[in-house]
Amino acid sequence: METFEYSLAGLVLLITYWLLIARRIRGAINGYAFQSVVIGVIVLATYVQSLRLHLLVLALSTFLIKGILIPVVLRRQVQATVYDKRETHYYVGFPTALLIGMGLSIAGFVAANRLEIVKDLVGQPVLGVAVAVILIGFFITMARQDAVMQLTGLLVAENGLLLLGLVMSAGLGLLVDFALLMDVLVGAVVMGFLIARMNATIMSTDTSELTRLRG
Amino acid sequence: MTGQILLVVLLAIPLAGAGATWLVRPVAALHGITAVTHSAVLVVSIALLGMLLNGSPPHAFENLLLVDPLGGVVLLIVGSVGFTSAIYSIGYLHHELRAGAVRPRELRRYYALLHVFVFTMLLSAVSGNLGVLWTAIAATTIASAPLVDFYGSRDPLEAAWKYIVLTTAGSMVALFGFLVLYQDGVHVLGQTYDFSFPVVAGIASRLPAAGALTAFLLVLVGFGTKAGLAPMHSWLPDAHSQAPSPICALLSGVELNCAMLGILRVFALTAPAAGVSHLRLVLVLFGLFSLLVAVVFLISQRDFKRLLAYSSIEHMGLIALGVGIGAPLAVFGAMLQMVNHALAKSLMFFATGNLLLRFRTRAMADVGGLVRTMPATAVLAILGGLAIAGAPPFSLFVSEFSIIAGAVRSNQIIAAAIAALLLVIAFIAIVAPFNRMSFSAPKAVDGVAAEINPVVLVPGYLSLAAVIVFGVWIPGPLHDLLAGAAHLVAP
Repeated sequence: METFEYSLAGLVLLITYWLLIARRIRGAINGYAFQSVVIGVIVLATYVQSLRLHLLVLALSTFLIKGILIPVVLRRQVQATVYDKRETHYYVGFPTALLIGMGLSIAGFVAANRLEIVKDLVGQPVLGVAVAVILIGFFITMARQDAVMQLTGLLVAENGLLLLGLVMSAGLGLLVDFALLMDVLVGAVVMGFLIARMNATIMSTDTSELTRLRG
Repeated sequence: MTGQILLVVLLAIPLAGAGATWLVRPVAALHGITAVTHSAVLVVSIALLGMLLNGSPPHAFENLLLVDPLGGVVLLIVGSVGFTSAIYSIGYLHHELRAGAVRPRELRRYYALLHVFVFTMLLSAVSGNLGVLWTAIAATTIASAPLVDFYGSRDPLEAAWKYIVLTTAGSMVALFGFLVLYQDGVHVLGQTYDFSFPVVAGIASRLPAAGALTAFLLVLVGFGTKAGLAPMHSWLPDAHSQAPSPICALLSGVELNCAMLGILRVFALTAPAAGVSHLRLVLVLFGLFSLLVAVVFLISQRDFKRLLAYSSIEHMGLIALGVGIGAPLAVFGAMLQMVNHALAKSLMFFATGNLLLRFRTRAMADVGGLVRTMPATAVLAILGGLAIAGAPPFSLFVSEFSIIAGAVRSNQIIAAAIAALLLVIAFIAIVAPFNRMSFSAPKAVDGVAAEINPVVLVPGYLSLAAVIVFGVWIPGPLHDLLAGAAHLVAP
């Protein structure tokens, strides 16, 4: 079972790389949905392994909220014009972005190795992936100019946090997991709302046009 | 039992208010509901604090919710500044409606979100579980970002976007820290335990040292972003200048304190294992750097709301500094500073809100002659400016002086000297512009230049009275509350 979980964790990291260089917003939203489903399967596997009921509930709500609800909300909020737009704006080039992403993965695995954990369900390899995904998610948010892509970066980082939680606090119980998921859902809806306002106000979701406030 | 009921009522009031303001249409009813709910929240908060000080700390649902002195200080702040900001909102929006700047439909959205925002801040104050605490603090951003964007044009939108993206990222870093802290506890208590303050505090000295340090640093950087500590503060001057004035009062006076509460809670839990002196040094460095950055931007400021925003960064830096100094006097000063900052900064946003309604500009150069045209607001702005700058006899002088004196007494002369020097520069940078705006020749205003309405003056004068009274005399119960909080963050 652990080999299965670790392979899926590897897949999560691969999807993160793909999101790092995704050019289209449509692709990025689908990639996020796919990544969320894979994480849901990992959680489901830990449920089968441990038979702790709250993990089953967490797996199902991950499928529902992150795999379906958030992508659907994003597609609705982000209007058709933006949805199909080819996203080419990066503060760095794509090859550089990929290189930085790999550097961040190494940093993530090194950092994860220094964290002392008492192994519960899954161990160090998943922790490494989790930290790497969090770092790359933050990098996507910082380096992308498009608001939808910035939001996707935050959601990716949050997926990393869910994996991190699976390693570090699988015994914590449902309340906190659920609060986190609701936080993510409502946060994504509010950010989607702001993106829609942006689209109406400046006819674009390019945040490089929003740089008037200084000093 | 009474405590449990009161806690549930406390949280139910703003939620009911949010529902009611979302459904009700008449403008007068919207104003009325908001005044009633926020008065009720203030009364229930004081009742809860009364129970705490009488030796029976309220708690509910196996410590998911509880009121201890540290959370109590923040509860007092949310209750009182929430009340004054709600009253100010009524006068402010009444004027904006008549001026045609706001439509009645937008009023419902404003009041509904205001109630949700106050709910999240109350929950931060009364949470007894670290998971609930994180969720509540993270949720304050989500509830308030649409309020920052209330006016809906380009600049507020930019501010709201920066605000939500950066502080959400910050909250995620803090969550990383909370998960590390949980894992630290696993080393002592096993995989499943109750992640509440009393339980974690009971094993605080047995946590692994490296893990405790990691948890603290992650939470400091993460919630430090939300609390506006430099260098993670870049979103703050934008959000705190673009939001409607009553919202600025809450963002600045209350929400920053909620984020600071998150940092202080985790500081208290991790310090015994990670080494109190290490963590204090980190807090001192962040505090002094925040002071420095704030002062640099205060000097060159032309926008009076951004001036207040940088003053908030200065005040948050002082709180971090006071806790970092660690001497009992300094930590007490830091707790008092949280209350004083909330009262004085909200008062200044009320005063400048009146200017903004009258002059429709945030540029200091375009405002003048206030003592003649808006005398009541001018008095607020002048005295409030002196208060936030730390002049005697206002209460911020007492808290800031305690922090510096605590540093001197505990032989941290360098920190004390740097802080004192920066405070003097900040004093001039804050006081001068408000005097200039008040005493210079009046600028042309279209229509009659006069006060807006009585409702936008009362909340400011209430806060001013408190800031003056606390400057000369701290009432016994407040002193006990602050001393209890200081005891919790000086392990």
